[in-house]
Amino acid sequence: MATEQHLTDSDEATTAARSFEWPIKRSVDDRMIAGVAGGIANRHGVRSIYVRAAFVALCLAGGVGGILYLLAALIVPSWTAETEPPPHVASRPQMVGLGFMFLATMLLLQAAGIWFGTMVWPATLVIFGLAIAIDTSGANYEKSLSGITGEGRRSWWLVAAGLAMMVGGLIIVLSSLDQLQALGVVILAVLLALGGFAIVAGPWIWSLIEDLNTERRARIRSEEKADMAAHLHDSVLQTLALIQRSDDPKKMVTLARSQERELRSWLFDERAADTQTLRGGLADAANRVEEAHDVPVSVVVVGESGLAADRQSAIVGAATEAMMNAAKHSGADRVSVFAEASESQVDVFVTDQGKGFDVDAVDADRKGVAESIRGRMQRHGGSAKIDSETGVGTEVHLTISGGSQ
Amino acid sequence: MTTVYLVDDHRIFLTGVEAELRDRFEVVGSSYDVDAAVDEIRSLKPEVVLVDVHMPGGGGVSVVGNVLETSPDTRFLALSVSDAPEDVIAMIRAGARGYVTKSISPAELSDSIDRVAAGDAVFSPSLAGFVLDAFARSVPVAEDPELDSLTPREQEVLRQIARGYAYKQIARRLNISVKTVETHVSSVLRKLQLSNRHELARWASDRRIV
Repeated sequence: MATEQHLTDSDEATTAARSFEWPIKRSVDDRMIAGVAGGIANRHGVRSIYVRAAFVALCLAGGVGGILYLLAALIVPSWTAETEPPPHVASRPQMVGLGFMFLATMLLLQAAGIWFGTMVWPATLVIFGLAIAIDTSGANYEKSLSGITGEGRRSWWLVAAGLAMMVGGLIIVLSSLDQLQALGVVILAVLLALGGFAIVAGPWIWSLIEDLNTERRARIRSEEKADMAAHLHDSVLQTLALIQRSDDPKKMVTLARSQERELRSWLFDERAADTQTLRGGLADAANRVEEAHDVPVSVVVVGESGLAADRQSAIVGAATEAMMNAAKHSGADRVSVFAEASESQVDVFVTDQGKGFDVDAVDADRKGVAESIRGRMQRHGGSAKIDSETGVGTEVHLTISGGSQ
Repeated sequence: MTTVYLVDDHRIFLTGVEAELRDRFEVVGSSYDVDAAVDEIRSLKPEVVLVDVHMPGGGGVSVVGNVLETSPDTRFLALSVSDAPEDVIAMIRAGARGYVTKSISPAELSDSIDRVAAGDAVFSPSLAGFVLDAFARSVPVAEDPELDSLTPREQEVLRQIARGYAYKQIARRLNISVKTVETHVSSVLRKLQLSNRHELARWASDRRIV
């Protein structure tokens, strides 16, 4: 699709198309400020850094480069990320042509007198020297499709040529400057030298920093791994060893369950249940009962409760008591808790399939059922219904209503 | 004997389950690799496939999806350590006929396999809870209201499952036959698989309970 776009582009340019189409558009992929230089580079197959150097050099000519850039940025339309064609591959004559065009423009501007004096030519030399140095020593060299020599290899003689151009230009600039400005010149020279060093050695330093970062990340990872191993050793491996030494199946199951619970809470601690919610409160109670009595308690909650806090804690408390009773007395191998909540009402069922008991025959003195379950529910405007059948099991149904005020 | 195939990337667990089931079922094969499992299930044609949810290479969802494309009669029972809603719903939507957690007792697992082999659905208490929750909180869309809501009877059956009762006990408590309980659950399964509400998936990912 990109090549298609490119073809229509040049077709229309040559046939002076019916609708005007800009031969050059501002680049999106290769953009420093507005993508003007990137767009020119893309169209003509030169590397954008040289186009940028040309603009900077033209700036020395009374700021013409800046004005041209600004105009282009305002008038020329931009590609979008989808439509931008891949960079054109330039032929050598084309690049030489561009170079001559640049030189001609500079000469024209010199003839017109829009100029900053004798320093422009040596400065241009410095700028292009810099460009070559950056281009050939930078890490982006490999990424580009066509170099100024048409090859994608880093070549040291080019770096050297760039540096030589820079130094040569600097010498000319410095020697032409007035002695009075010597101090400023020294500072400038130092800055330029530092800049040159950064450009040449920059990629190498950068890769050193990258390596250090990678190493640090690897170390953090291995520390995390060591933490994890230490934790697993203290918990899971110990429990597994205990299980192997144990010959009581019930004990084994208990060990496995409590280890599973512990491991899950360690793995998912960021999701630790908020005991203020109905769901979290019941889950927390179930865990405590499970730990105390070695009977698994499963909790299923449907909906979100809108109960006032005191009522919610009343029903959770009563449910906890019911779970305790079931785990302690029923002899069932597990207890199920099911809660259905809405804005204004919560129902909790605590069910076991144990031996059951005769509800009416329970001694009124037994605090568990009478006080902790019934009394607690009634004090908060709720109710408790206990169904039990000998040999079948027990179901405690708790209901409470009343939203938060 | 019902033929059973096992897919689980955890080899110790695989061996354990295989040993448990050997007396009551004909275990025709097992695999700890998703791709190998799909090929073997296609050629062995077991009646029931027990499949783990979390496995490298696409997990249980991809096993179920791939096999059902070519052998729509295969019945899947998902078996997982996780009963996180998004996992449960994803497996059921992919075509599994039941979902149980690995903490299930051997006897219950056998019952569940029998039930799935007979073409019925197996809902764990937490799955029943998820379904009630999902269907309760959303407004049915106009396209097919029948698919998007549960009948009062279906809700009642799901509530009983969520309370931990087995099908037989539910039948007794609601004064209906076990067959009727099974019919209700299968119908809920169908709604769960076919309902086109996108909310179901979003709902599942919204609430993460471990």
